[in-house]
Amino acid sequence: MSASVLDALCVREEPYYLPVAGEVSLFEAAYAARMPVMLKGPTGCGKTRFVQYMAFRLGRPLVTVACNEEMSASDLLGRYLLEGGATRWHDGPLTTAARFGAICYLDEVVEARQDTLVVIHPLTDDRRLLSLPAHSEAFQAHPEFQLVVSHNPGYQSALKELKPSTKQRFGAIEFGYPPRAREVEILIHETALAPELAERLVSIAEAARRLKDHGLDEGISTRMLVHAGSLIRHGIGVEAACEMALVRPLTDDADLVRALEASVRACL
Amino acid sequence: MSAGAAESLRISARSFVRALWGLDLEVLPLPEVAELRPRRPRFLGTRVWLVNSALRGVPGSFSNYLLAATAHVAAHRAFGFAGARFVVGSLKPAQVAIISLLEDARVERLACERYPGLARLWAPYHEAESQGAKSSGALFARLARALHDDRYEDDDSWVMKARQSFFADRSAWSEPNFLRSLGGRLGNDLGQMRVPFNARDYLVQPAYRDDNTGLWQFEQESWADGTELELEDAQHREPPALADADPQENGAPEPANADASADLERPLALRGKSNAASEAAVRYPEWDYVIRRERAAFCSLWEKPTPAVDAARLDALLARHAPAKRRLERAALRLASHRPIRLRQLTDGDRLDLPAVLESVVARESGVHPDSRVYRRVRFQREPPALLVLLDCSESLNTVPKVGSASILEQARCASALLAQTIGETTRDFAIHGFCSNGRHDVGYFRFKDFDQPYDERARARLAGMRAGLSTRLGSALRHAGRALSARVARRKLLLVVSDGEPSDVDVHDPKYLLFDAKRATQENSTRGVMSFCLGLDSSSESSVRCIFGNGNYVLTDRAERLPELLTRLYLRVAG
Repeated sequence: MSASVLDALCVREEPYYLPVAGEVSLFEAAYAARMPVMLKGPTGCGKTRFVQYMAFRLGRPLVTVACNEEMSASDLLGRYLLEGGATRWHDGPLTTAARFGAICYLDEVVEARQDTLVVIHPLTDDRRLLSLPAHSEAFQAHPEFQLVVSHNPGYQSALKELKPSTKQRFGAIEFGYPPRAREVEILIHETALAPELAERLVSIAEAARRLKDHGLDEGISTRMLVHAGSLIRHGIGVEAACEMALVRPLTDDADLVRALEASVRACL
Repeated sequence: MSAGAAESLRISARSFVRALWGLDLEVLPLPEVAELRPRRPRFLGTRVWLVNSALRGVPGSFSNYLLAATAHVAAHRAFGFAGARFVVGSLKPAQVAIISLLEDARVERLACERYPGLARLWAPYHEAESQGAKSSGALFARLARALHDDRYEDDDSWVMKARQSFFADRSAWSEPNFLRSLGGRLGNDLGQMRVPFNARDYLVQPAYRDDNTGLWQFEQESWADGTELELEDAQHREPPALADADPQENGAPEPANADASADLERPLALRGKSNAASEAAVRYPEWDYVIRRERAAFCSLWEKPTPAVDAARLDALLARHAPAKRRLERAALRLASHRPIRLRQLTDGDRLDLPAVLESVVARESGVHPDSRVYRRVRFQREPPALLVLLDCSESLNTVPKVGSASILEQARCASALLAQTIGETTRDFAIHGFCSNGRHDVGYFRFKDFDQPYDERARARLAGMRAGLSTRLGSALRHAGRALSARVARRKLLLVVSDGEPSDVDVHDPKYLLFDAKRATQENSTRGVMSFCLGLDSSSESSVRCIFGNGNYVLTDRAERLPELLTRLYLRVAG
């Protein structure tokens, strides 16, 4: 990857993001101090949208990496590949971002194996150093480089956790579902639903969120509500849209599906 | 309908009201009785009893009926007068029935304001028709419909007058006295209309509504005092045979299993040496941190029999954790079967290992003999570890936390049962043991479920019979458990200790002594390949738990009600 690749990663249009608390100024301050930021919160509550929005505001390109267990350090840093009869070094996404000053966003960072993540350690303290042992190279990160990670402490906390030595390098911003009025506003903006119906959908989400830890790992997210709203806008009946976008994706447990369907009917 | 299917519907109903109001109701089956009369739901506090199969003549599916009935009770809980119950006082039975009916309508109306769809859930059961007999039962059913359905018109002036007065002053709904006086007046009118009311035959209509016993504070009652929920035994009391609306008729049945509860109350001293004398004690050394030496054969550990009692109590407690249980079962299955482990640099495999390929090509190009191990493969999860859950059965477990109604012991019992159920499907290689102590000569050790035994009725009965008392000499128990576990043939051996984390005994005055002995025992176990983890029940004991089990090898909680889920989660975490 080279600097020109980053042009493609610039966020050109302003993504819609409705600030809920002070997260925008917190992030800006953290960026000014070049402090790595961790975004915590349930899935679908706007973490990724927030990063895109901040990348736009700060005018930085955004390199996103969806972490998974299979990921190795070289997937982040880069590796030699064969080209013709020779090998050639290819920067990985983290290296690219650090070299050219992008925001690097590691989504669902706990999914990566703990030993993989250790490569970010020198980059995330005051050294801001990235070392590529395979390439015999070490360099200071670009002054505009910023590392952002997200993780969802909810459903996987018992099974997966970040090392304290990794966690403590970050400042953390906690995300939750937006307050009711904001969520209605977001829903209306994203799906052009009638306010009354948007209110009803948010009530359904609130009901399902009360089942978190009572059978559900996660409640209905804002993203799911937007899905339901989009289906409704495309002419699907409200109940059918809720079934498809809210109830079925949430759980496979027949008892809970029944309870959720009843809740949907009660809210409408 | 099978018992499982009905239970499944009850879980749905319970999740439904949890979703709508955040209420935790316990939804239980009404005990079967040989009675021909149709039965009505009943609630007391947070418990709801519902019929076990569809009632004849009730429209719609049984599933919807349960949802409607539970939602109605939940409306009482959410919008009732701050949990207070009406006092019967000098009211006549007919007035009691009418006030109940008005209260039913009031809470339903309030519920529908928040969740308009509930009106559609309840509507099909309001089948009363305007024309027809003017018996009190029929009039009440028509009034119920009139208050539910704004478009309904009745030809009876009493019904219409009641509706008009009920909706006349919406602001008065927050006043219990409003219902009382309105109900009183309507009851008197009914008397003047010479419409007889027979409390014994009265059946609340429509069928999804409860029989009102949960609304009233009756004078002659012993089964339903407001605090009965504190008592775990109350769970076993059957609700009294369906009562009539007439409060005077309410009997006061005995708790159904008085024997079993009496048995549970028996003091712990019964587990004395008398029954242990027949068995040989196992002697264990103890570590004295002051002299930095082991005191050989210092403690005597006795394996003691475990009384078995009816496991119904345990089942009832477990029922509260049903949603968590299902989720954990799924997690356990996933973990037991499909956790991938990646192997690289193999001589054969499913896919190429890219870095190895590169190295190999580079080696070949530079004239060095290339390494042919260029494959990788994914292997799946190792077998689950042998597991021993060691429960601290000392006196401190009898504490009942401020929030919650069950003692820590109950929760620990429930926790081990939940874990056993969760993993019992996939393995028998686990045991649940317990211990308590009364000085170094009498460390008691109990095997509720042993290795290779199935987790069956007998194991559950023993678990249900677990009692707590005396002290916590952790070290000897750890050694004994470690010995049992290290004899297992398994690649990994896991000891999960559930304890308040503060070893103590009557003959030891230096708090550090038993602490360091327990630490020593844990270290000895680890040299035998036994990994130890602790679920601590008191967050103030963190320093001692950390000392014994080491950093990262414990989880602490002060919320005993979370114990069942935490223990299973801890297992899934360390076993994975």
